[in-house]
Amino acid sequence: MKLKNVAAVGSLALVTALALSSCASSGGDAGSTDSATPTSAAPTIDFASLSGTITAGGSSAQANAEAAWITAFTAQAKGVTINYDKSQGSGGGVTNWLAGSYDFAGSDSPLKDDQITQSQTLCGPGGALNLPVYLDGVAVIYNLAGVTDLNLSSATIAKIFSLQITTWNDPAIAADNPGVTLPSTPITTVTRSDGSGTTTNFTNYLSQTQPSIWTNAPGNAWPIAGSSAQQGGSGVVNTVKAGDGTIGYADHSAIGDLTAANVQVGTGTDFVAFSAEGASNAFTAAATTVDTGVEGDLAQKIDYTAITDADAYPIPLISYQILCTTFADEAQGELTKAFVSYVASDQGQQISAKNAGAAPIPADMLAQIATSLELVK
Amino acid sequence: MSATISPTRQPTGPIANSLTSGQLPRFVEWYVLAGSLALSAVLLLLMGFNIAGWLVLAAVIYLIALGILSIVVENRRKATDRVVRGLVTVAFLLALAPLISTLFTVVANGIGAVNWNFITQTSGSTFNADTLEVTQQVGALQAIVGTLIITGIAALISIPIGILTAIYLVEYAKPGNWMARTVTFLVDVMTGIPSIVAGLFAFSLFTLIVGPKAFSGFSASVALSVLMIPIVVRSCEEMLRLVPGDLREASYALGVSKFSTITKIVLPTAIAGIVTGIMLAIARVIGETAPIFMAASFTDNFNANPFEGPMQTLPVMAYTGYKFPGQDIAASNDSAWGAALLLVILVVILNLIARVVAKVFAPKGSR
Amino acid sequence: MSKPGPSSPQQRAPKGMRAKARPADRIFLGLSTGSAASIMVILAGVALFLIIQAVPAIMADWQNNPELNEGPTSGYANFWTYVGPLIFGTLFASAIALIIGAPIAIGIALFISHYAPRRLAGILGYLVDLLAAVPSIVFGLWGIIVIRPFLLPLSDWLNTYLGWIPFFGGTVSTTGSTILAGAVVLAVMILPIITSISREIFLQTPRLHEEAALALGATKWEMIKMAVFPYGRSGVISATLLGLGRALGETMAIALIISPAILVSVRMLTEGENSQTIAANIALNFPIATTLQREALIGTGLLLFVISLAVNMLARIIAGRAGKSALKKRKKMLAQLPPSDPSTVLAVDDVLAGRATAAQATTGAAAAIDGDETETSKEEREGNDA
Repeated sequence: MKLKNVAAVGSLALVTALALSSCASSGGDAGSTDSATPTSAAPTIDFASLSGTITAGGSSAQANAEAAWITAFTAQAKGVTINYDKSQGSGGGVTNWLAGSYDFAGSDSPLKDDQITQSQTLCGPGGALNLPVYLDGVAVIYNLAGVTDLNLSSATIAKIFSLQITTWNDPAIAADNPGVTLPSTPITTVTRSDGSGTTTNFTNYLSQTQPSIWTNAPGNAWPIAGSSAQQGGSGVVNTVKAGDGTIGYADHSAIGDLTAANVQVGTGTDFVAFSAEGASNAFTAAATTVDTGVEGDLAQKIDYTAITDADAYPIPLISYQILCTTFADEAQGELTKAFVSYVASDQGQQISAKNAGAAPIPADMLAQIATSLELVK
Repeated sequence: MSATISPTRQPTGPIANSLTSGQLPRFVEWYVLAGSLALSAVLLLLMGFNIAGWLVLAAVIYLIALGILSIVVENRRKATDRVVRGLVTVAFLLALAPLISTLFTVVANGIGAVNWNFITQTSGSTFNADTLEVTQQVGALQAIVGTLIITGIAALISIPIGILTAIYLVEYAKPGNWMARTVTFLVDVMTGIPSIVAGLFAFSLFTLIVGPKAFSGFSASVALSVLMIPIVVRSCEEMLRLVPGDLREASYALGVSKFSTITKIVLPTAIAGIVTGIMLAIARVIGETAPIFMAASFTDNFNANPFEGPMQTLPVMAYTGYKFPGQDIAASNDSAWGAALLLVILVVILNLIARVVAKVFAPKGSR
Repeated sequence: MSKPGPSSPQQRAPKGMRAKARPADRIFLGLSTGSAASIMVILAGVALFLIIQAVPAIMADWQNNPELNEGPTSGYANFWTYVGPLIFGTLFASAIALIIGAPIAIGIALFISHYAPRRLAGILGYLVDLLAAVPSIVFGLWGIIVIRPFLLPLSDWLNTYLGWIPFFGGTVSTTGSTILAGAVVLAVMILPIITSISREIFLQTPRLHEEAALALGATKWEMIKMAVFPYGRSGVISATLLGLGRALGETMAIALIISPAILVSVRMLTEGENSQTIAANIALNFPIATTLQREALIGTGLLLFVISLAVNMLARIIAGRAGKSALKKRKKMLAQLPPSDPSTVLAVDDVLAGRATAAQATTGAAAAIDGDETETSKEEREGNDA
């Protein structure tokens, strides 16, 4: 599985390498001995000349990837220290970044309109860039004695999470799983009690695919009372694990050894388990760049109904790095730009895939990010 | 006895010897306990057995049985006394259960993670450029150092302010003085500051002073001080008030100055209580998470300079280790428990030191 | 403030006879006054910060403001409908915790100070202090691992047999993340605070008072009621308030354990009807919140501030009242003791006089709010002397 991913990434990287042939490798000895994964797509970063401290923080979804990127980056650029504060959350990341405390923010959602306006006081008229650098999926996890393989259609998921289905042997679930004996255990839905980007993605998915069943507005706070609300992805995962008949949602990279349901793609009969490839395919199929009026901005909008192929995972999750186009301190700008371009390089994406369970961002998007980053100074 | 001394009061019947008559035998409490444990077991076996229920029911039966026995054989006053003794003991045993359970949970989960490397290494990670793999190395050194520095500075700020304020309130302020009233009132208000608000306050304050990148250990110390000062003031005030006025008067009568009376007589008399109060205050703030990650941010890098840059602490390490586990969830949880265990050990050590200090300074007395 | 005794340091001698003030005295006076003043400055700073931050959100039009109309703050008419249930939840959770925790805590303090063998007492006291050292995050984790499953059978039982009481009604939780579990953990967290301070105070009871009571034939419990409790009353109330302060402001443990909802409900055993507390709500939603939402959350923090103030004042007033009636009660109790000869009657007077002094000292804190307190005590004492 892992190997297959790497191979896929490798082939992608090859394509990217051809496309971006102008970018020659100058990243010291980094990866140059690895024949299986050519790293010629690594951007031209002169690691040796970099020094300083980057302070950043925000989204906890990309925290593990961030940790891996930081390790890899600082292993090559010895003079650089990077602090990424994952305890702040997306909102805290953006708030602190807008206040000038961070060099970049990690956020599960792009800047909102008023934040774009605010960002111009910080970044000047050039505004700020939302760069999608982290891709993962929302997994629907469950713990049900005797059931190890479960298919769920989007309608069933919506009904379960809006508490319209209350037992596991409900006809709707049975219809998705022909031949599976389902117990009559009552369903306990486990949701997030804290505001979360994962909730935003999941409620977006529900309200787009099943607007007649899921009538609540999407948002970062779970809208329905009556479920077991737990703090943090780890709270949801642990509670689902500890119970019987429990079902919840969490970032796929954080579910540990729990079983995730296969989710129906589109309205068809295909049920897909999460895979990195699947998430990448979903990104290609469903994500379109939103015109925010800022040059180079790559804020994405996902149309979940457009994910119809059997090779795509229906609930992708995107997380951004947000940074100014113009830094007050030019050296700081160069440093931050170097780090972000490393993250958005082919090597950076392989590192997050390998060490944080993330899916690689498609190559053409990486190319766009590289172009956008040229605006940063 | 009273009848023989007071001639005006004539005995009207046989004199009850209150020293020997109507007393339950010495070991009656143990017999009753055994009986109620057995009875409770029998009752619960009929309804479905569980240990907690058994003990609780046994305690209830024990108290009732003992009370009735004592009322019948002895008198109401003695019955009350026995029942209260039983209640107090039960309360204590009840409290012992969570104490042991918590400590057991912390030790059992944390002991696996804590070893010499965990204490002496900073957590970090290595990058293998060939395989692109990142290996995490667990370590808590940066968190231990951060905790000691941040809490230490907070204590340095809070303890003098707290004790001096308590001295002002108890020794100097005149009754009804507006300032003393206001300060007492404000200390009450301060105990109600939510910890996260203290963190925000400190961060905003330092943003005003040093500019946007205000994360520093020192600002976290200020946040902790806001939480710590009221606890120190309140417990010290209470302890100083308990120092008998006679001692002060005796000192003044010998012509000793007020300063010397306070430092040589009042403070040493109350020192055990004051130290307990301070240790409680430290224990209260050393485990704070929210104000620290608001003010000192979070980092995996080693930083021993409280005036610049993010700083890691043990409680934040425990919190993030649980809430935002790394790719290897079990390893993250282990190091979170390890950090929690270290924190408890750290407080135990501080507590021991404080007790020794208190013993050295306390007057040689009966207790 | 109050007087430590009938001839406290504040009752200065005539001017000429006063001890000469030395420089150290002046510096010390200045230092301690300065510290007291610094508290005012710090608090003014915090209060100002809170108010400035909170006002925009409190004043905002919650229904039409796009920023407030999404995420955690969506669907509320104004700030007050948002914060109302939170206030209820905070008070409710703390009240349960205090009802469970405070009697047990005072019981332990008594056990350690008066019942346990002396040698054991030191170790026991240390053990309880250890409990105070356990960080709240650990209590949260412990609550998840141990308390949640432990309370499940009890919850079922309560719901089955006592379900007609509103507190125990509703659908019983299957995961255990109920407000009861949160309150039990809160109770454990406030135990060591109340116990440590109460224990110190009980130990400070003048031995003469205790021995006098015992010599008069009082049983141990009567001795404690007559000598120990009155002496330590204000201290114990203070300790309880500190415990309550912690319970009101506790964030992490509650946030980890309870499955919250912003609503008013007294049900203690359900999954979806646990009233959320202010502090936990801030901790849960602060990270994701946008600027104005953060200001709304800080506004709820301001309210928490006000609540704990109100609770404190209420308790002070109650303490003051209790102090006044205490002396009368004690006289009545002494009268109930077995008849005694003239010499013990003398001793009773002695004890009463001595205790009046102590009571006056300990009710001092109450005097800050309740100005006529010291006067009342003085009258009582004079009554005794007559």
